[in-house]
Amino acid sequence: PSLPAGPPVRIAAVTQPLPTQPQYTRVDVPVLRDATAQRSNGRIQVTLSTHAERNLAGNEIVRLVRSGQVEIGAGTLTTLSGDVPILDGVDLAGLAPDIRDAQRIAEAIIPAANRDLERFGTRLVGLYPFPAQVVFCRQAFTSLSDLRGRRIRTFGNSLVDFFTTLGAQPVSIGFPEVYSALERGVVDCAITGSGSGAAARWPEVTTHISNLPVSWAVAGYLVNLNWWNRLDPQVRAFMEATMKEVSDKQWELGNAATRDGIDCNIGRTAECRIHNVAARPMTEVAATDADKAEARRIFREVVLPGWVRRCGARCGEVYNEVIAPISGVRFGG
Amino acid sequence: MSGAVGPVPAPLRAVRALRRAAAAVAALMAYVAGWAYIVCALFITFDIVARTFLGFSSQATVEVTGYLLAGGIAWALAHTLFKRAHIRVDVFVNRLPVQVRAPLHILALGLLSALAVLFAWAAWELVDESALFDAHDNSALRFQMVWPQGIWAFGISAFVLSCFVLLLEASLALLAGRGASLDGLLGSRTLEDETEEALEAVAMAHEGEEAPRP
Amino acid sequence: MIAIVFLLGLLAVTIFAAATTGQALPVGEILMLTAVFVVFFGSGVYIAAVLGVLGVLTGFLFSDRPWWAFLGQTLWGPSSNFVLVAVPLFLLMGEILLRAGLSDRLYKALNVWLNRMPGGLLHTNIVSCAVFSAISGSSVATAATMGSVALPYFQDTKYSQRMVLGSLAAGGALGNLIPPGITFIIYGLITETSVGALYIAAIIPSVLVTGLFILVILAHGLKHPMEKPERVPLGVKMRALLDLVPTLLLILLVLGSIYGGFATPTEAAALGVVGAAVFAALERRLTFRMLNASAEATARNTALLGLILFGAYLLNYILTLINVPQALAGLIAGLPIPPWGIMLCIIALYVALGTFMEGFSMIITTVPVVFPIVVALGYDPIWFGVIVTMLVEIAQISPPDGTVMYVLQGMRSRPGPITDVFMGVMPFLGVYLLAVAILMIFPGLALWLPAIMS
Ligand code: NA
Ligand code: NA
Repeated sequence: PSLPAGPPVRIAAVTQPLPTQPQYTRVDVPVLRDATAQRSNGRIQVTLSTHAERNLAGNEIVRLVRSGQVEIGAGTLTTLSGDVPILDGVDLAGLAPDIRDAQRIAEAIIPAANRDLERFGTRLVGLYPFPAQVVFCRQAFTSLSDLRGRRIRTFGNSLVDFFTTLGAQPVSIGFPEVYSALERGVVDCAITGSGSGAAARWPEVTTHISNLPVSWAVAGYLVNLNWWNRLDPQVRAFMEATMKEVSDKQWELGNAATRDGIDCNIGRTAECRIHNVAARPMTEVAATDADKAEARRIFREVVLPGWVRRCGARCGEVYNEVIAPISGVRFGG
Repeated sequence: MSGAVGPVPAPLRAVRALRRAAAAVAALMAYVAGWAYIVCALFITFDIVARTFLGFSSQATVEVTGYLLAGGIAWALAHTLFKRAHIRVDVFVNRLPVQVRAPLHILALGLLSALAVLFAWAAWELVDESALFDAHDNSALRFQMVWPQGIWAFGISAFVLSCFVLLLEASLALLAGRGASLDGLLGSRTLEDETEEALEAVAMAHEGEEAPRP
Repeated sequence: MIAIVFLLGLLAVTIFAAATTGQALPVGEILMLTAVFVVFFGSGVYIAAVLGVLGVLTGFLFSDRPWWAFLGQTLWGPSSNFVLVAVPLFLLMGEILLRAGLSDRLYKALNVWLNRMPGGLLHTNIVSCAVFSAISGSSVATAATMGSVALPYFQDTKYSQRMVLGSLAAGGALGNLIPPGITFIIYGLITETSVGALYIAAIIPSVLVTGLFILVILAHGLKHPMEKPERVPLGVKMRALLDLVPTLLLILLVLGSIYGGFATPTEAAALGVVGAAVFAALERRLTFRMLNASAEATARNTALLGLILFGAYLLNYILTLINVPQALAGLIAGLPIPPWGIMLCIIALYVALGTFMEGFSMIITTVPVVFPIVVALGYDPIWFGVIVTMLVEIAQISPPDGTVMYVLQGMRSRPGPITDVFMGVMPFLGVYLLAVAILMIFPGLALWLPAIMS
């Protein structure tokens, strides 16, 4: 995209949780900040920062954008769902084992989600994934059913429902404490992005990693609606194109980083390009067809009804209308 | 210093009674806050034991204990004010004559009151926003955020009221020419307070023992 | 005060750094803010109000954002943060131990061994604080507990008031450095570093700092000799060691639960409270009245810190909103000097910020920005965690803003100006900085133990 000369536009954006994450260094910085300045000939200046730098927990992003502290904010939808429950529906545990489905679902739900978000003065302009959320364990396992009885660190309601149904015991611990919790055996397993686990050096304290994507930690870029609507139409079109490019790049990165995270964790130096290769390689546990079928069953029978119960009947209708055609699972049979 | 000058005027007497009542309520709230921390310790310990030996966990310790902390801070603010325990840097103030010192005490309390009003307003705005969102937390118990936030905002509001009561009493005392009495109301804790209170704890430990010796 | 003069310059430099990206220099505004700050401190305004009002003024002067619309969230976030729950828990544990007489037994037992050294009782202050720090994760709790135990012993003695308060403040500033410690928990939270590894890395540096403190007191003792108390028979000395047993068992419970895989570092604080209550019960001192008094004291001290935290977070939010820490970090990273020079600048920045910022808010605002620079320069995250913790401890005892000093000032039995505490802590502050320098030259002091243990 390009932009004719005009009055300068300054944009403050708070995007990823940490400044070291590839979502930040490989997409937000080069595209959202640098390319935007360059293509607009310096007319649009984006000031980027991260949740950690702004001392944010991540669950207050909707309020941050709404109250005009920043023009653009980003956060994982599960974390934001306390304020806007429909956002959780994009990323339910077991909903989309394939990243292409995850992307189609995400893009399909944006209009419905925006109906809710616009009531609060914000608007989604793009969704993107983190690497697949997979299970790391400190003891061997070969299938999902082996997780029965183990203590698993999870986050968010749909993962809790998912692992409880498997017979595991969900434990809630803050992410930074998970490393030592795994090291000492406070928990047996933990779920996080394949790449995030590599970045947090979990291979030092775990031995087995599943390749079954339980969910994607889908996140979204939100804009302040008031600001967005008042933008010069040319600038808005330019920013729309930019955000489209940013989120496309993020989906590419999510796909690459998922496999890369696993490869780094299992010590395949040649394939490990985005994260750091593990000093103590882990064992990859390939998902069997039985695992996939079980994940689907749990999604249909427990996770989906649980979400609709929390979110309200309208969420069930939206789901059946927008997501069911892609996922192939209808709510209420 | 200027000491007592004639009988205490009636309005000042009334405000003093009001302040004592407010301090009593504030003390009660502080005890509630303190016991909330004891509950916190028990709750977390229970969660550790349950997780280690009984195979289950509450799935909400992080959130619930966080709310107890927020409530605990807010509910004890007023009591801490009446106990003159909020920290001031009063190196210079204490060396000034009472004519200067007394108005400075009021200035300090006035600024604190103004800030407290801002905090209380912000807290209720937050509750209001949570009500608009019908916000819940992400714990297994899915708490409605208006409750913990409302309890928190209530505590801050009680702090605001306490600031006002003290401010009223201090202003009346100053008008009545009793500036020196402001030291006892707002100044840093004195010898008597300390020997009485800070060492009471040590005394409790020494009950039935000999006195400490170097 | 030197610190305030220093502050004038620093505030100007920080806002200058933040403003150079854009328009002309707001010299008038900066001078006005600094003047307001000095006047407030001079007129005895509440610390929380000084920080908060400064935040409000900075916000109105330098930001065009409606920051007030997010103020509720800014205050609620830290108020309800699980990691900070460790603060009242460590305070509560200290109160219970104090009222059960266990802190006193610890102090007495160590005193029998230490009181004939030049400097006498002052050594007991340092060593008992160090031992207590191995249970408590909070510097404030350490200073509060050992302060209320130790101060009565100094009543009507010839010890220098400044030295007494200084040594207790310094001992309190071991609370976070000697594992367990809240600063490590927070640093781990922000940088995703293992808290367990940080604890192990801190062992040798904390021995170093404690040793330096003892040297300071020895030097003071030799310079101002005092009459030595009578020699205690060895049998009595050995029996005194028995009084250390409950404390050692508590250390085992708190640290053991972390390394045994039962609890996270935050949760261990709760186990410490329950353990302390069990020992109180064994001493037949666990009564409702005692718990009630502990609860009240904990509530009061947490509220005292909570109000300051409100002010500090408001100021912090505004400073990050106008990019002050980021601009400063960027300024430092861009300097054309070798990595160790940049590291020195970072340390100088922390020491400077530490004079007027709270430890908590200081690391929360700056570590996310500074950490990537440090890692890019090739420094070890664990080593830097230990350095940052030492700098936070230094911040706690560097005038004019330092919680540990306020708490001690709040419990003096003989009233006096807070400058007594400020002056007394200076020599300890000096050797603390020396320890940071030593750790910079010999990073192995922090990294050797974690390396051989993994
Ligand atoms: Na400690
Ligand atoms: Na300081």
